[in-house]
Amino acid sequence: IQDDHKLSTSELEEKYGTSINKGLSSARAAEILARDGPNSLTPPKATPEIVKFLKQMVGGFSILLWIGAVFSWISFGIQLAQGAESPFDNLYLGVVLALVVILTGIFAYYQEAKSTNIMASFSKMIPQQALVIRDAEKKELPADQLVVGDIVEIKGGDRIPADIRLIFSQGCKVDNSSLTGESEPQSRSCDFTHENPLETRNIAFYSTTCVEGTATGIVINTGDRTVIGRIASLASGVGNEKTPIAIEIEHFVYLVAGVAISIGVLFFIISVSMRYKILDSIIFLIGIIVANVPEGLLATVTVSLSLTAKRMAKKNCLVKNLEAVETLGSTSIICSDKTGTLTQNRMTVAHLWFDNQIYSADTSEDQTTQPFDQSSPSWTALSKIVTLCNRAEFRPGQENLPIMKRVVVGDASETALLKFAEVILGDVMNIRARNKKVAEIPFNSTNKFQLSIHETDDSNDKRFLLVMKGAPERILERCSTIMINGKEEPLDSEKAEAFQTAYMELGGMGERVLGFCHLYLPENEFPDTYPFDTDSMNFPTSNLCFVGLLSMIDPPRSTVPDAVSKCRSAGIKVIMVTGDHPITAKAIAKSVGIISATSETVEDIAKRLNIPVEQVNRREATAAVVNGMELKDMSLQQLDEILCNHSEIVFARTSPQQKLIIVEGCQRQGAVVAVTGDGVNDSPALKKADIGIAMGIAGSDAAKNAADMVLLDDNFASIVTGVEEGRLIFDNLKKTIAYTLTKNIAELCPFLIYIIASIPMPIGTITILFIDLGTDIIPSVALAYEKAESDIMNRRPRNKRKDRLVNEQLAVYSYLQIGIMQSVGAFVTYFTVYAEQGFLPSTLLGVRVDWENNAINDFEDSYGQEWTKYQRMYLQWTGYTAFFVSITIQQVADLIIRKTRRNSIFQQGLFRNKVIWVGIFSQIGIALILTYGLGHVTALNFTPLRFQYWFVAVPFAILIWVYDEVRKLFIRRYPGSWWDKNMYY
Amino acid sequence: GLILLFYLVFYGFLAALFTFTMWVMLQTLSSDIPKYRDRISSPGLMISPKPDTALEFYFNKSDAQSYAEYVSTLRKFLESYDDSKQSQNINCTPGRIFDQNDVAVKKACRFNLSELGQCSGKEDKTFGYSKGTPCVLVKMNRIIGLKPEGEPRIQCTSKEEGMVEINYFPPEGLIDLMYFPYYGKSLHAHYLQPLVAVQLAINSNSTKEEIAIECKILGSPNLKNEDDRDKFLGRIAFKVQMTE
Repeated sequence: IQDDHKLSTSELEEKYGTSINKGLSSARAAEILARDGPNSLTPPKATPEIVKFLKQMVGGFSILLWIGAVFSWISFGIQLAQGAESPFDNLYLGVVLALVVILTGIFAYYQEAKSTNIMASFSKMIPQQALVIRDAEKKELPADQLVVGDIVEIKGGDRIPADIRLIFSQGCKVDNSSLTGESEPQSRSCDFTHENPLETRNIAFYSTTCVEGTATGIVINTGDRTVIGRIASLASGVGNEKTPIAIEIEHFVYLVAGVAISIGVLFFIISVSMRYKILDSIIFLIGIIVANVPEGLLATVTVSLSLTAKRMAKKNCLVKNLEAVETLGSTSIICSDKTGTLTQNRMTVAHLWFDNQIYSADTSEDQTTQPFDQSSPSWTALSKIVTLCNRAEFRPGQENLPIMKRVVVGDASETALLKFAEVILGDVMNIRARNKKVAEIPFNSTNKFQLSIHETDDSNDKRFLLVMKGAPERILERCSTIMINGKEEPLDSEKAEAFQTAYMELGGMGERVLGFCHLYLPENEFPDTYPFDTDSMNFPTSNLCFVGLLSMIDPPRSTVPDAVSKCRSAGIKVIMVTGDHPITAKAIAKSVGIISATSETVEDIAKRLNIPVEQVNRREATAAVVNGMELKDMSLQQLDEILCNHSEIVFARTSPQQKLIIVEGCQRQGAVVAVTGDGVNDSPALKKADIGIAMGIAGSDAAKNAADMVLLDDNFASIVTGVEEGRLIFDNLKKTIAYTLTKNIAELCPFLIYIIASIPMPIGTITILFIDLGTDIIPSVALAYEKAESDIMNRRPRNKRKDRLVNEQLAVYSYLQIGIMQSVGAFVTYFTVYAEQGFLPSTLLGVRVDWENNAINDFEDSYGQEWTKYQRMYLQWTGYTAFFVSITIQQVADLIIRKTRRNSIFQQGLFRNKVIWVGIFSQIGIALILTYGLGHVTALNFTPLRFQYWFVAVPFAILIWVYDEVRKLFIRRYPGSWWDKNMYY
Repeated sequence: GLILLFYLVFYGFLAALFTFTMWVMLQTLSSDIPKYRDRISSPGLMISPKPDTALEFYFNKSDAQSYAEYVSTLRKFLESYDDSKQSQNINCTPGRIFDQNDVAVKKACRFNLSELGQCSGKEDKTFGYSKGTPCVLVKMNRIIGLKPEGEPRIQCTSKEEGMVEINYFPPEGLIDLMYFPYYGKSLHAHYLQPLVAVQLAINSNSTKEEIAIECKILGSPNLKNEDDRDKFLGRIAFKVQMTE
């Protein structure tokens, strides 16, 4: 793309108008900054707030309610034109409906914005600094102020602040893993080594890190024009799939809207053919729509999801997109990184070999002692070498921290050894001080060993101690004896054989093995004053005494094996995708249970049966370790075959690009895929996945941007807790929806019977809204706090095509059984109220037209009394209130039965979920306030109600409870029966 | 199949349950008086004839067809007050509440049509419509157990002064207390509620004009006539427009 890597320094100076020694002038830099913009990646374009807001206003049921509102206004207009007496009722109804839409819309928008804000605050990072030469001076500048042509200096540990062409380098190495996925550091120099700018050594890329050395370079690309920037913008091109819960809710909305519209239209036709006026029919239609639409439900769902999101955030899963909460629950495959996610991301001593025996060390996160046998004098010698032949040091001032948490200056292996020694021996720095170092040869790649010579703290022994560690085979070469139980014994072939076996065994476990040897220098040859010279090596470096081996590994997090086995019982396949070496990857996979103890790969079988790999029946192998190189040459079918046929898969040596291929492969199997990632190059895979999980600690901004979720502690186990929460919320949303849908029938039946039997209206539209948006809200949210009925991690992930949120059984059971029971109960109350005031049920049938006639003010009841219109209306409102109260009372029973779907309420515990009780009390409290507090506000159509009417529906409420217990009993008793199939939702 | 059977049984059960609870509820009710009467503590007023749509009378005094409906309504309404229908009714003591709490068979008081004078329809078969003095009967809604206090009477006023002269039958629009209380349809089958006829002698200058009349019940402290919301509680407003 660019050929800056081919240009010479002076050509570069000319091209960018800069000077290597003086840098740009501040004025010039400001000019370029104004032209190119700051050196930072543009975050993915956010949907404009207004669009988000409008979406909330028309999404879900809002359209239906808008239609209802418009119809109300139309009928208001018509009535006004006809000069009817009370046209304003319809105007108000329309306004109320519009308000409902707007308020629930604002609420949903607010919820959404709140959860986005959590994320936004999190993604703000501490600004990066860069060392720049400008105006011939070195300056620290925020990295986003860099411009093309700036001369920057970098050193080990820095993040490369932009794409730079190196012009000076001293032992500079960079870690390009976020770009290429290869974790081996690559050296960087000023030489043009490759035509391809991505391969050449003299360019360092934005957002990669400089591991060691120093370098100076010219900035050649900034911000979105950097290589990483171009990849990041590519990631935003990968489309976002609809989340499973969004699909479920859409399905549910269609279902309910379908029911609403068809019943509405059906009864519109019926009422027209029953010679109702068109205007009346339209008003009925509005009532039916309002009764059918669960106005409060979508808000409830949002609240439930955000409650879960909060709960998950406490467990270190930060959810960016509310709907992702449930997606995680339906996950069937998790593609997990190894380093840092499954492992602790730090080298730790795992095994020791001395006295011809392998010892295991404790690798847990919070080790304070080591349990292996430390009585052998060989261990004393080995520990001395480990302690002394080590350049790593603790940063000062951390004495109070646990050893494992202390920060160490030094490389990974030496850190591991230092901590290991500190745990066992105590104050290592003190030991080193007492065994003064007189000479040292640091580790280098040519001799592959590290050596140091010390005075000893034994005042009777004036000999110097030479200690050495390094690659085991190189160390062994230099030894002629080996220490067994503290005694030096000649190193014969038998002992060398034992060493080989141990070395192979440790290496086979994917561990990095180091050998340790020592030599006490004879006092006569090396007196106190002997001038050790490391250049001429005037001391022996062969015929040493071999003491032992130590092997190190980045050990799995202690919580991970448990989490993996949980996944296994939950039917979730865990696939490890790592850039590491296959042997290490497999060893970790085995130790965490991704490859279970009994399963074998094709290679394992071949080895066991002693036959070539090609002859192994591939079906027999449950596990597979796939190398990235093999993956490169695989066709899609071959990949599918691997994903299909093996239940335990490890992808090793894979690049982040291959991750995307793996994710797509899993999705082709119909799986809901969760993917973890941290590098910039993971972002396409994170986007493509059904749920992308970025690492909070190790993750790059780009990964966090692309992900749906951020794992604050980078721990795999947190994903599993998230899955658990996700599954629970799916179950609980089911309960919430079942609870909410039920009373829709009790709200709808009055309209239907009113139209057909021409009785006085049993319940008003406004009253319905008070149930949907008043009494029912807190209880339906309370169901989100319900505990799981059984171990939800013991069943398979839901099949997104079959296991719907709202299935036929749920709708039928809620609508046609419990809903009808509620209606019956409410109608009994309604008829009771009218009968006790003088209108027996027989009198009520067919009275609608006269009842509603404003001119009839001597309407005769069953006892010969005469009623004015207003007196009738007031009675009608009392009827509304009674109907309302009955529904509320029966909804209490409905709430209790919805706590479980299969278990008895008594198994679940009536009082375990306290929030349910808050819900019940709020429900009754709101009803009391509406009835007795607002009973005198005419516009609300509530009237104070005789106390006994609260209890008319109680037997029906009890019946609902008993009936549901019976239903659950049969479901538990006869699994798979006709009853189970039809009654379990 | 099984599903249909299930719902048949299920709904059958619910229907039975509904019927049963309704039956139980109805058993608790008396057939004589409703359990509660608090929603109609005070009676409304109503007139006869009652024009179809709104309470507005439009007629031409020289066109019999234009008021035929009013006349026939009145005639029909007064049929039950005919002497022949009142043979079982007794003559009560005027001016006193006629308490019959202890009597099993409640008697009805006789209401003589002659009390309605010119509006009885006996002398003038057109109830004054042909003469420009239309009659409107005002009645008070029946409420079981209602015992008016004081001396209830109907008084009508016209907003427009001097357009109409109002005469009452019985005189001063009095409603006699002897017609109260009412014991309900089943106990008090022959009960006739007292009527007040209001004759509107429309000033000949005021023909073609719409005259708004409001009638109220006065003179009784326990009969409300000022309710904000209920425009028919103890009062009634109607309009009359007569052409020639």
